[in-house]
This record gives sequence, C-alpha cells and structure tokens, in this order.
Amino acid sequence: MRLDVNVLGTFYRMAREGAGLAAGRLTQMTGVETRVGVTKLNFMRGQEIRRDLADGSALVGVRVELTGAIDGHSMVVFDRDDAARIVEGLLSEAGADPAADADAFDRMSQSAVSEVGQVMNSGFVDGWADVLESVIDVSTPTFVEGESAEPFLDDLENAPADDDLALLFQSRIETVDAEIEFDHYLFPERDSMAALLDRLRTSDGIAYDKLDGFDRMAERGAEEMAETATKLTGIETTIEIRRLNFVSLEAIPQQVPDEKLVGVAFEFDGVPSGYLLFLFDEASAHEIVDAMVPMDVDDDGFDEMGRSAIMELGNIMASGFLDGWANVLDTTIDHSTPEFIHDIGTAAVDPVVVGLGANQEYAFVFDTLVVADGHAFDCEVYAIPDGSDLERALNDLEVGRIEETPTTAEFQDLDQS
Amino acid sequence: MKTYGTEPGAPTPVQIGISELAVSDGDDTLKSFGLGSCIAIALYDPDSGIGGLAHAMLPDGDAVSNSDRKPGKYADTAIRALLRRMVERGASYTAVEAKLAGGSDMFEFDSFGDGVGQRNAAAARAELEKLGVPVVGEDVGGQHGRTVEFTPGTGELVVKTADEDEHGVTVL
Repeated sequence: MRLDVNVLGTFYRMAREGAGLAAGRLTQMTGVETRVGVTKLNFMRGQEIRRDLADGSALVGVRVELTGAIDGHSMVVFDRDDAARIVEGLLSEAGADPAADADAFDRMSQSAVSEVGQVMNSGFVDGWADVLESVIDVSTPTFVEGESAEPFLDDLENAPADDDLALLFQSRIETVDAEIEFDHYLFPERDSMAALLDRLRTSDGIAYDKLDGFDRMAERGAEEMAETATKLTGIETTIEIRRLNFVSLEAIPQQVPDEKLVGVAFEFDGVPSGYLLFLFDEASAHEIVDAMVPMDVDDDGFDEMGRSAIMELGNIMASGFLDGWANVLDTTIDHSTPEFIHDIGTAAVDPVVVGLGANQEYAFVFDTLVVADGHAFDCEVYAIPDGSDLERALNDLEVGRIEETPTTAEFQDLDQS
Repeated sequence: MKTYGTEPGAPTPVQIGISELAVSDGDDTLKSFGLGSCIAIALYDPDSGIGGLAHAMLPDGDAVSNSDRKPGKYADTAIRALLRRMVERGASYTAVEAKLAGGSDMFEFDSFGDGVGQRNAAAARAELEKLGVPVVGEDVGGQHGRTVEFTPGTGELVVKTADEDEHGVTVL
C-alpha cells in the first residue's frame, strides 16, 4: 500500500466537501445558521483513538457500514452536550415540553440526536462520493454512546489495533453562537483502501508503513524538546498533546489563536527543510522570563533581557526537537538563528504559509503542546516541513532502525547575531 | 467547495480566510484576521456601495497554470475576480477604488528571499494600475501583523494591530 500527496489532498477535499454538505443539511434540519470551520486529516494510532474516546466526556456516535468506492466503517462522534444543544432547538420547535415528562423527553432527544448524527454522517459520505465520483452505499445507522472506547470500537472487525495508524477526519462546524466539533473516523478494509490509494495516486509516493516514521519523528522530537526545556528553565515540562495533521496551507492559521502571542520562529534546512514555530501566551512568556531572568522587572512588555531569554529557550527547544527528528531519520538538520515575535498569533504563521505556498497546497503540521504542572507554561509548537523534502526523508527511512535509535541532544550556544 | 456563504443564511461578519474573497454591499462587514505577509485588497464602488475583500498570499497568479481554480490565492487574479464579481452585481467599473493593507515582512529567513510581503503589495499595486483602479489608501509593509475589517457601503477599511501604542488603529 503506497500513498502520496495527491491521495492525501483528495482525502482532504473529501473531508472538506463532506463537512460542507453535513453543515448544509444541519442548517436545513435545524434552521440554525452553520458554516464549516477547520478541517484536518489526522493520523492516529489505535491506542490514541481509544484514549480520545475515553477522555471522560459523554460521547455519542453514529456508525454506518460503507460499501462501494470504500469498504469499511464510517463513524461520526460528537460531544453529548453539543448534540443536546442542537436537539433542544429541534424539540422545542416540535412543541415538546421538557418539564412535562422527563422520560419521554429523553427518548425523543435520543432519537433526535441519532437523527442529527445520521444526517451528518450521510452528508460526509455523500461529500466523499462526490469527490471520488463514485457510489458509496451506506448501511442503516447504528447509534452508539458511552464514556469509553468499547461501545464505539469493540464490535468492529476493522477497528485499528493499538499500533495501527488510522485516518481521522476532524471538522468543526460553527453556528452563530456555538462551535460544534465532530470527529469523523474512517476504518477502511485494507484491500479496499489499497485499491483506492492505487487509483488516486499520481506519483510513486511512499509506502504506507513509512508513515510510522512520522509518528516516531514526532514522538522523539517532542520528548527531546520537553527535556531540553526542563533543563534550561528548571520548570518540569511535559508533552500534553502531539498530533500529526495534514491540512491545506490556508487552514494552518485558523488553528492559531488570533490573540497577541509571544513566539520564536526558525527555518530549518536539511532533509527535510521547513519552519518551526514556538508560540507562548503572554502569561506563560512572562513566567518563563521570570524563571530564567530573576532580575528582570519589566512586567508589561518584553525588554532586551526578556526577549533574549525567550529566544534562548526557543533555540534550545528547536535544537532538541530537530535532533530528535535527525536521529530518527539518521541525518542532520540545521536551524537558523531565532526570530522573536510579539504579535497576533495568526500573523506569525502567515509568513510560513506564504513561504511554502509557491510550491505546495497542503502541508504536514506536527502540532505539539508543551505544558508544565503548577506553572503557566503553555507552548504550542508547530513544525511545518517542506512537503517534497519530507517525502524524500521518509522514503530514505529504514523503518527497522527506528526502534534502535538512541536519543541524544546537544546543547548549542545561542548565536547572538 | 461548500464553505462560507454558500449555505443559506451564513453568519455575518463574513470571515475571509487566506486565498478567499467575497463581494458584498451596504453595511455588511468582511473581516480578515492576522495578516502577516499576506495582502488584503479592498475594492469598492462608492456610488453603488458594492465592494469586496480578498486575502491573497502570493503575488503572481498569471505565472502559474492552475490559478483559475483558486483566484483568491494570488494578488493579480484576486483583483480581477473581485472586479468581475462586483460588476456582475451592479458596480460601475470606472468608479471602483482600492485600499490595501498587510504585506509585512515579519521574518528575515533565507528561504523567503527579499520581502515576500513587499512583493505582494507591489503586485497588487501593479495589477490595479494596469486596470486603471486608483489606490486611495494603504497601510502596508513593516514587521507587524494586521487585522482588517471592511465595510463596502462606506468603503471604510479599519486596520488593527496587536500593539496599538506603536501602530494604532488606522482607518483608511
């Protein structure tokens, strides 16, 4: 099984188109104005999917079996509270009075949630069929709910095993006063997926199994980075979230808050080359400066000392992160001197999107959140490699050696040029 | 692609993301957040109150083969697409005026060459001059981000920055 950027681009368009149709039908059904927010393709291991489904919040899902252009299962999962909000609108229109008979309301709301889920699911699948210009048949829906992964996955024969990488379509649909987030899982049968990939592929691409290398790169990079940050600041940091997204370039700034942030940006060079951004909220940046420069008293802005402290931290974290990658890929990756930024978050990402935009439409975004217990230390890290370089790097990667790679990070002196 | 505005009753103000453009009129507002090197191009016809906003990321769409698929991505093709849609809606071509914002150069990276932001602004000005559309206001360049909000009916383009002490709020 091999895939390339064209395949992923097609999947991305499927996700976008599907979310558009789903949003439109939700509007028709509820009368609530909707629009499509961020759409992402996400590669996740089976164990991460299980962990996400078991994060403690009540989830509801609607699952269908697909046959035709894709064989397998498709499942829309959303937060029970989000579903309830949509349903409230529906039921009050229908004249149901929640106070009159609680049980009856529950039964009605269950069937309404199920109906909403089914409308969404069929919207997504119709969108996919449009993009693939093929027929996809959909079975009658199964309604699932729970606070753990079991009800969602256990009776599925093609649910991914713990170490299998599965493809997740994440979309957000926004209404005027709420954001409803949907996760849309596709669990294809392997043969069907292989045939689809062959059909969509326009270049030799990379072996599907090499995607494993992505995950290892991301893991090693994140570990090294957190370790170096802890050494430098004395603040115990951990990795809270680590994701590998495939998105259109235009969607990247939508992920970043449009509030004022403090950041450090790098370009890196090697196989792969690309850009690396560290973004802190202002409170975190101030706390980091306090930890690193105890004498610094500038509470409002970031003076020369504060800036250089943040840049030094960024530099150390960049070295750790890229060393982690380089170790997995058995190569060297150099990075530029740090560029400090204190501006609207989206404006920090925009130049990177522009920089890549001339040669590619989509990008892999390694998205990592570093946090610290008991401290304000929220750091969003975005590593965005050049697409063709990354494909080359992965192709060169021998999957077998990933496990053996030791991790070492060298501290580098900050070049104050 | 089914995105903003294609479903009935899309919420306002309309957000114009990167590579997108939209045409509207009257008091509707069109908004683009956090422009760095990208360029916001606002065109409007003061007589009819019809106008539009584009959020372009690259200068030259004529140089690439597939710019017709996403005209809003490039400054030159975005301007022509905006003008065409405005005229279709009833704007008078000869009355149209333009305002520009964005085109910063935030980072000095080797891979950026010299001034991606500047190139975007220059490409927009060149295309507007070719089409005979006067630029009546601009807030471009520098090293900071901008958020813009455009009202076609008044032609007002409000440019906000993260550091209001330093750059203030500019109304073009």
